[in-house]
Amino acid sequence: MTDSNSVRDDLLARIGKSQQPQEILRAPELRALAEELKNLPPEERAGAGRVLNELKKSLQTAIDKRQAELLDQAVTPIDVTAPFDINGSLPSLLPAEHGTIHPITREIAIMSDILGRMGFTVFESREIDDQYHMFESLNFPAGHPARDDFDTFMTMQVDKDGEPLIAPAHTSTMQNRIMHELKPQLEDGQPIAAASIDRVFRNEDLDPRHEHTFYQHEGIYIDKDVHAGMLVATLKTFLESYYQTKLDVRVNPFYFPFTEPSFEFSLSCPFCEGEGCTVCSGSGWIELLGCGMIHPNVLKMAGIDPKVYTGFAWGGGVDRLVMMKHSIEDVRHFQSAKLDFLRQF
Amino acid sequence: MKVSLNIVKRYTSFDVSVDELVSLINQQLGGVEEIIDIAKKYEGATIVRVVECAPLKGTDHLNLTKVDDGGASKDVERDDNGLVQVVCGAPNVRADMLAVWLPPGATVPSTFDDTEPFVLGARELRGAMSNGMLASPKELGFGDAHEGIMEIDANEWKPNDVEIKPGTGFARAYDLDDTIIDIENKMFTHRPDCFGQLGVAREIAGILGNQFVSPDWYVDTPKFSDGDGLVLTVKNDVPDKVSRFMAVAVRDITVAPSPTWLQAELVRLGSKPINNIVDVTNYVMLITAQPMHAYDYDKVASGKLGVRLANKGEQVALLNGKVEELNDSDIVITDGKKVIGLGGVMGGSETEVSIETKNIILECANFDMFTLRRTSMHHGLFTDAVTRFTKGQSPLQIPAVMHLALKSVFDVAGGQQASKVADDQNLQTFSELVVHAPQSIDKDFINHRLGLDLSRKEIESLLGNVEFTFDVNYVAPFWRTDIEIPEDIVEEVGRLYGFDKLPQDLPRRTVTPAPVRANRTLKTQLRDTLSRAGANEVLTYSFVHKNLLDRAGQNVDDTYQLSNALSPDLHYYRRTVLPSLLDKIHANVRAGYEHFAIFEIGKGHRISAGVDEDGVPVEQEYVSLALAGGDFYQAKALADFIAKKSGLQFNYVPLQQGKLFEQKRGALIRVGDTVIGAVGEYGAAIQRNFKLPKLAAGFEISFESLLKEVRQATGSYRQLSKFPSAERDVTLQVAQSMSYVDVESAVHDNLTKTDLVVAISPLGIYRPDTGDTKNVTLRISLTSHEKTLTGDEVSAVMDSLVSEVCEKLSAVVI
Repeated sequence: MTDSNSVRDDLLARIGKSQQPQEILRAPELRALAEELKNLPPEERAGAGRVLNELKKSLQTAIDKRQAELLDQAVTPIDVTAPFDINGSLPSLLPAEHGTIHPITREIAIMSDILGRMGFTVFESREIDDQYHMFESLNFPAGHPARDDFDTFMTMQVDKDGEPLIAPAHTSTMQNRIMHELKPQLEDGQPIAAASIDRVFRNEDLDPRHEHTFYQHEGIYIDKDVHAGMLVATLKTFLESYYQTKLDVRVNPFYFPFTEPSFEFSLSCPFCEGEGCTVCSGSGWIELLGCGMIHPNVLKMAGIDPKVYTGFAWGGGVDRLVMMKHSIEDVRHFQSAKLDFLRQF
Repeated sequence: MKVSLNIVKRYTSFDVSVDELVSLINQQLGGVEEIIDIAKKYEGATIVRVVECAPLKGTDHLNLTKVDDGGASKDVERDDNGLVQVVCGAPNVRADMLAVWLPPGATVPSTFDDTEPFVLGARELRGAMSNGMLASPKELGFGDAHEGIMEIDANEWKPNDVEIKPGTGFARAYDLDDTIIDIENKMFTHRPDCFGQLGVAREIAGILGNQFVSPDWYVDTPKFSDGDGLVLTVKNDVPDKVSRFMAVAVRDITVAPSPTWLQAELVRLGSKPINNIVDVTNYVMLITAQPMHAYDYDKVASGKLGVRLANKGEQVALLNGKVEELNDSDIVITDGKKVIGLGGVMGGSETEVSIETKNIILECANFDMFTLRRTSMHHGLFTDAVTRFTKGQSPLQIPAVMHLALKSVFDVAGGQQASKVADDQNLQTFSELVVHAPQSIDKDFINHRLGLDLSRKEIESLLGNVEFTFDVNYVAPFWRTDIEIPEDIVEEVGRLYGFDKLPQDLPRRTVTPAPVRANRTLKTQLRDTLSRAGANEVLTYSFVHKNLLDRAGQNVDDTYQLSNALSPDLHYYRRTVLPSLLDKIHANVRAGYEHFAIFEIGKGHRISAGVDEDGVPVEQEYVSLALAGGDFYQAKALADFIAKKSGLQFNYVPLQQGKLFEQKRGALIRVGDTVIGAVGEYGAAIQRNFKLPKLAAGFEISFESLLKEVRQATGSYRQLSKFPSAERDVTLQVAQSMSYVDVESAVHDNLTKTDLVVAISPLGIYRPDTGDTKNVTLRISLTSHEKTLTGDEVSAVMDSLVSEVCEKLSAVVI
């Protein structure tokens, strides 16, 4: 009878040297062991079978290890400090004419530039935040029905109050922080003028017109004697600079918990000068953003006295502006990373 | 919120066109989503008398009728008596009845909104000509009944005095020559009163500058009689959540379909007629915004209504046919013991009013909006009552609404009051509500916020039109639970005045420059740099599928997870950006791109990164690039390009362990001794998992670290010399294991001892087929700021270089 231990040692040694270790499982020695098993008396067969299985298992482990080793050997190490590989030459960058900046970040840069010239500091937003910043500090008390208007993504993990964290559904999640940070400006007699432009999230199904991930621009302006007419004038000026044309604007009453009064802001369609076209669905008007006078509770939460200071705020989508500008048919292209799409900009 | 202009006109008259009105509503009340021309829907429908009715020969159920339309219809075939022949299959058709006839050319109202509405004609049925049809309630859009035709009762009471006779237009008879405007519900999130026709009518008067006067029944305190015959007790265990609960028993009613006028009122507002009792509760709600409920008295054990919170696990069968398992935060109505309804949300099926019901209980109550919202969300029940209660209805309107409902029940179902009107009120909540109202505001407060200069009188006129009153303060009417703070009054004045009329002044600011944020500036610069290097900026989702984390070998347990994402593609926050980019390589390769680089500046999140000073998770930002068709050295060249344009110098040290990157073909990116990222080709598993092309590499750099370094960067500009440079190439044979950087540093260190301007550039790294050495060829450029270097001077520098470096590196010059 064959000694399985000596077979094991022999095969293990061969695996250690083999370039194709998987082949060892077909070694005649193993087959012979299996043959012998058949001829054993039934009472011995079980024990011997177990031994054979263990042998096979240990071989497989060794094979896996050897294969990883071989794979690793196949990888040639390189001198990472060198400018190029042995016998190679200095690599060039990619052709400059292929390089592109994403149409959305490009649009954000244009908007930031206008806002910057108007005196607004542009901030970024967060991608994970707590309910205090997303809701509470914006005058949505716990349980407020207006919280339902945002299809907000929530996490399994909770914040320090035991509430789920959220993926902000608007860049207003930055308002309280920005006000706190810029409050000293107010005390120095300078207005707070700030915008935040960044990525936001809503739990929506994807289709050509709906994205769960998109971009928003938002602004706040706080000073003494700021009135609602200034809000309209500021937005009009901003949009006229953005579209490089004179525009008519109008505001309709709306409801947001964080502004009082609240408006929906529309402008005469810059693509057809109000005549009616596909962009404005023939109406001559485009509903572009939500805005209003900052709710006194929101100012209070940031330590700003609403009896002394008033302010306005607005928020709107960036993706839609880009889509309208370039007649982009499907919002999903933006996050598709398709070069066919990106290299057109 | 559907609003009937005919109903509005009963409360306030106006003479502007529908278009003008809609435009004003848009500007001053809320966005109009749809205008529905109900009159058009019922155009042609005429009340007729069935004069003759006889079975149609050769059929088992059709009747041949002759109807009298008073000559109303013009182009139709008539017999000698001026009657019109109509074939009708309804079992209830009979001579002498009044019915609704749809003449040829009329559209069947129930198909009015279909893409292909059904237009009637004159056609032969079993050999007999049928002109149009006699309509069933279903065909008229009045509920589901279609077994028979609609019967018209000329003597039935109705709100208008149009005479019902053959030839009267159906729409005119029942006030259906109406226009419905549908205003976005979202506009009224804070306007409980505008969920009733009455409230919207008041606002319409206000924006037209007309004085509105609420009907007496709404504002007068009603006097209820005592009633007798049935026992009714009410016990409210949750006064803090149910601020008012009013109920009364009514006996000996007759449950039946509602009179046609009432059905007509309901259907135009989108409500479905059920029976006279349920219809009254719904109608009262549509008018006042106050939901109500009716119970079958005889199915409520011992005439008790209890109000309490549910016990966890209790169940109730609801009117929608579903059984809900309750939560201990749900407000429930009980019969003293078991649950018979989900308070403010939906009634229970056990106590439902049916055709057999003889005695009822009417309930008119106020439920806490926050509790109700939770219940509604939890059970997924979004009823008209929930919509209204969650806006914060005023408990002060409850007696008026109950009084109206009671009176209406007597009108349409007969019966008598059978108990006292129970009124459980919680005075504390009550006084809190009343305190909302008076606001002491200076007119300047209002003017400053609107940029206006209105007189107190003008302000009072605007607000007075919608029934605000004034003593020394501004007093909101009792139904305006939304008026809490002075700014709410500002909004009212602005809106009623017209926001579009506010002066458009720009804020005046000083010339102080607005501060810029360094992180945004650097990002703009990085985008610029990388796109100039031929790379394409992409944006990819912040959320990823679990399998992306797995494929990238990332730790799922340390990753923030979404609890409510619709798609599994979005179940986790991404930890770093590069895997998202790798995931986009394959599709682009398939689209025919072979050699490209995509990059993104984005965020990653990991639980172990902890929280910041606000207690929210730390966000980590990355500048990540994935290169296809290029190797380590090209990825490195792209990273070095960033360094150069940011005034930095990156150095590279071998990876100690490989994760995303293959250990032997990857490096840490450092600035000085600070590690800021990594660059490399990918390990075999990553290569396979992301179906990457053979040649692929990339880098991921911490944006925060980069920003920190860039802020400290001093720049690398060297002044130009007026004198020419001398160039010499030197090839050093060194041990194959020696790093290139050691060779270059040795050369550099030697040359910096001279006071010349030195530039070293690699020309070649060559390894012969045999031996364990390699040849490194460097081009050395030497420039003096003082003079043109002579050949001898250059040779002296080179000789000293060669001898020192050869010794230091055990190298041989070739």
